[in-house]
Amino acid sequence: MRVQSPRDLAELFEALQTPGAQPLAGGTDLLVRLRAARKDGVKPLPASLVRLDGVEALRGVRREADGALRLGAASTHAELLAHPLVRAALPELAAALTQLGSPPIRNMGTLGGNICTASPAGDCLPPLYALGAVVELASQAGARRMRLAEFIAGPGRTGLKPGEVLAAAIVPPAPEFQVRHFEKVGRRGALAIAVVSLSALLRLERGRIAEARLAWGSVGPTVWRCPEAEAELVGRKPTLAALSAAAAVVRENVRPIGDLRASADYRRQVAGNLLLRLALL
Amino acid sequence: MPLPSPSTPPRADALAKATGAERYAFDSIPEGCLHAGAFRPGARLGIAHGRVRGVDAGAALSIPGVVRVLTAADVPGPNLHGIIHRDQPVLCGEVIRHAGDPVALVLAETPEALRDGLAALRADIEPLPGAFDAAGALKPGAPLVHAGRKGGNLLLRAKIEKGDARAALKNAPVVVRGEFFTPVQEHAFLETQCGTARLLPDGTLDMTLSTQSPFRDRFEIGAGLGLDPLSIRIRAPHLGGGFGGKDGATVQCLLALAALNAGGRPVRMAWDREESVLAGFKRHAVRLRCALGADTDGTLLAHDCDMLFDTGAYAHLGGEVMELSMEHACGPYRIPNTRVTGRCVYTNNPIAGAFRGFGVAQASPAFEGLMDELAAKLGMDPLELRRRNALAGGDVNGAGVRLNASAHLPECLEAVAAHPLWAEREAWRASAPAFTMRGVGVAAVFNGMGYGRGLPDMAIAKVELTDAGGFRVYVSVADMGQGNASAFALLAAQELNQPPSSIELVMPDTERCHPSGSSSAGRTTYTFGNALIKACAGLRAKLASRAAMPLLRDTLDGLALEPGRVVHAPSGKALPLAVLARFLPHDDRICVAEFLMPVAQDVAGKAEGFLIGYPHLLFAYAAHLARIEVDGLTGRVRVCDYLCATDGGRVLHRQGFDQQAQGGAAQGIGYALFEEFRLDAGRSTTGDLGTYLIPTALDLPDIASLAVDGCEESGPHGLKGVGEVGLNGPAPAVAAALRHCLGDAAARRLRRLPFTPERVLAALKAGGTARNRRRA
Ligand SMILES: Cc1cc2nc3c(=O)[nH]c(=O)nc-3n(C[C@H](O)[C@H](O)[C@H](O)COP(=O)(O)OP(=O)(O)OC[C@H]3O[C@@H](n4cnc5c(N)ncnc54)[C@H](O)[C@@H]3O)c2cc1C
Repeated sequence: MRVQSPRDLAELFEALQTPGAQPLAGGTDLLVRLRAARKDGVKPLPASLVRLDGVEALRGVRREADGALRLGAASTHAELLAHPLVRAALPELAAALTQLGSPPIRNMGTLGGNICTASPAGDCLPPLYALGAVVELASQAGARRMRLAEFIAGPGRTGLKPGEVLAAAIVPPAPEFQVRHFEKVGRRGALAIAVVSLSALLRLERGRIAEARLAWGSVGPTVWRCPEAEAELVGRKPTLAALSAAAAVVRENVRPIGDLRASADYRRQVAGNLLLRLALL
Repeated sequence: MPLPSPSTPPRADALAKATGAERYAFDSIPEGCLHAGAFRPGARLGIAHGRVRGVDAGAALSIPGVVRVLTAADVPGPNLHGIIHRDQPVLCGEVIRHAGDPVALVLAETPEALRDGLAALRADIEPLPGAFDAAGALKPGAPLVHAGRKGGNLLLRAKIEKGDARAALKNAPVVVRGEFFTPVQEHAFLETQCGTARLLPDGTLDMTLSTQSPFRDRFEIGAGLGLDPLSIRIRAPHLGGGFGGKDGATVQCLLALAALNAGGRPVRMAWDREESVLAGFKRHAVRLRCALGADTDGTLLAHDCDMLFDTGAYAHLGGEVMELSMEHACGPYRIPNTRVTGRCVYTNNPIAGAFRGFGVAQASPAFEGLMDELAAKLGMDPLELRRRNALAGGDVNGAGVRLNASAHLPECLEAVAAHPLWAEREAWRASAPAFTMRGVGVAAVFNGMGYGRGLPDMAIAKVELTDAGGFRVYVSVADMGQGNASAFALLAAQELNQPPSSIELVMPDTERCHPSGSSSAGRTTYTFGNALIKACAGLRAKLASRAAMPLLRDTLDGLALEPGRVVHAPSGKALPLAVLARFLPHDDRICVAEFLMPVAQDVAGKAEGFLIGYPHLLFAYAAHLARIEVDGLTGRVRVCDYLCATDGGRVLHRQGFDQQAQGGAAQGIGYALFEEFRLDAGRSTTGDLGTYLIPTALDLPDIASLAVDGCEESGPHGLKGVGEVGLNGPAPAVAAALRHCLGDAAARRLRRLPFTPERVLAALKAGGTARNRRRA
């Protein structure tokens, strides 16, 4: 297996032309998968790994003209977490990053890797879905944008085309939402894959909910939205009664699976329960 | 002899370990070595029990760098090993009995070639029906794990009886009952099983191993491979964790077999984490059914307990673990009538064996669970109930042994009772924020020390005056991280009246050190420490008297060992030790002494079924307190504060003592809340540390450790072993705290460890507590 280390976008796109080339960001997902594949001796290994960490254009945080934040895909979780714009404007994403992995994982792992791995449990995903994030994809042919929710097609599946990389996530900061929340339920305090997670945004007008955006992780093949529960909340005050009613709608609609970490039943129960926490905010 | 001060120097191994300078067996990669690895096809094929029809090594042998592929046909000797029962093949030729059983051994030039060789090996294995739970394995017609074995799947049945428990239970004014389940636990040491071996031209098999039992390993290897055990030399450097999982052969026999086939080259074997989980020993899963009877004032009258042990595919230490578990089944209490029955059963699950708290960690959730149940039924304070019945010196324990040794559980309970965490428990409960519940629980635990009756629990220590006038201690018991080597350096320094820097340690080496028992059973510091003190005292007296001639004394009066020299105090004359060393022939500069642990003599109870190792005389005691918080929305339990009060006799080294208490509690909190070893038809579905979850730093509170005043007269400077007792407390203490916050009905539903968020939430839902307590 070859490892290529491009220093700019041109070299990167060139390197990605190698047949069997695969982008390598922090490697915290990819190297784990490659190690397992090696041991099995069954799955073929990529012919070449193309490092993204040397490509400056893929890193850093910028505010775009319309106020949206452009988060470079190869930015590490630790870099994003240390960035004042992220902390101030995207508190739910910052909360998710704080709980992602552990310090070494946050120092290596990147936002782009978290998105492209497209795990149902990816911690960055529920906040990004709730915020309506858009992804920017780049290749020798140029750049294109699409909604994150469309980009992620299923577990481990994305709309990336051969030769293409994820360049950035563009996130509208949504300051009009007064209640902003992220909660991850894991089996322990760190290095835990989410069993259920919830990112919630509530926009209040005169004390009543005018708009609710709810996005769950780990309860479906991709991040799960529940328009029925959002509708249940609109027009009501964020009281325990209103949230309990929405929680009941969630439990009715959600279709999680059971696995090693939790049963389907537990996930269903907790997916609803997590809404009640909003009563405290 | 001046008593050691509690503010003793830091551990002797602290600097080397903190800087990464310490060389573990894992770090040993001899130049030009071959790499050996076991082929364990069951896991990949999804077969835990199957007939081996063939191994196809063709593709593996064609990989460059693969040197040999060995199978059962290449194993000399009986191809069966084990510590007590020899029933485990080195390589399986006919049947695999669990998913991690090895059928071939690959030798390769590089780790990469080894990995590719193992991946290319193919085995033809015909699945056989399996026995995957202990109760099922005892049913008539159950698949036999060891076909043709007399007794079928029942490895051992045993009974302990004192008084008449059944009659006493019938007549007891208050009786509580319960069924408890304790799970498999993975040792998850940092350093996985590993070692190196080389066959020397003179026929010596020279091995360096990560092992708790270097002296005994020789006999297990010798028996398995038909070799002369005394032609095997084993060195045991510091271990990166053992916890019982390296007591008995892990890599030993495979590595020895590899070395026999390596043409005199050194061979290294190091399991990766997955192999460690797949093939390593585990804590036994146990089902316990118990009944506890008491008088209306809380005086305990009778305890009846039935235990069912799943020992997995091979006997290993199954019978011995069950023995200790049964001996502790009635708790650290005075109970006139006891009856404990146990069965230890073969299944096609992973091999179970020794694990810190050796069977006792399985018993404590049950006896303490029933104590809390009893307290609830009597409307009595749970700590008061324990105080009323706690064993003290002179009492007779549940197995009928009179405790003529130190026993300070009452003082442990006093220490907890006096602590603010206990005094403020109701305020803590009342202070729970919305959606959460808070509670405090206590548990009283104990743990036997040593091998028990019928086995010589012995150690032999050697100490030597070096040419430079320092001292060298030949340590015969491995240090798996518990700090006994540091304790020995300290003991020797004190006993020889020398600065700690003048003491050098030789870690276990069967050629240079004297034979001693394993590093296990809370005996290591106690037994070897006693031998060492004796050896040091002998050397001290000898050196003082040997100085008489050069110092021109006509009597031995007034001669004494001082740092670096022998002094004649009245005249002020002194002889440097470096000079004395050169004055004496080497043979005269050593002293060797042994110690044999005392065994129980006064035993009132009857026991049937145990071969050896029953009963015990010496015990460490502890009272633990857990202060917890439960999230009502997710069922997640957080241990907020933790306290241990331990009776380990006199404290030799406070840091070492506290670390043992804290490490045990941390591992016990993992057992209580996080660690869930899952099996699907004998195959682990939690095969790595991403799926088998041990607690992280964020999951553990600061753990306060108190030492109660005590002195075990038979111990080195009055100490007892405290390595294991700390693990037995957290599961029952957390269970008690859950009862305090969720109520008795919920507590009755929480009798299966670990208390995962899912189980807690289900118990909460059933108890209806969450809704009542939500105050948002
Ligand atoms: C111990 C451990 C703990 C973890 N804990 C968590 C956790 O708590 N929460 C969580 O969500 N995840 C967790 N992870 C998973 C992982 O760390 C994250 O998903 C991380 O964000 C992946 O980023 P990376 O840069 O390491 O990706 P890589 O491993 O480098 O890449 C992952 C995949 O994405 C592709 N890729 C990466 N970047 C790009 C790009 N810019 N364009 C196109 N393709 C790209 C790669 O080709 C690869 O297929 C954990 C992993 C480990 C090993």
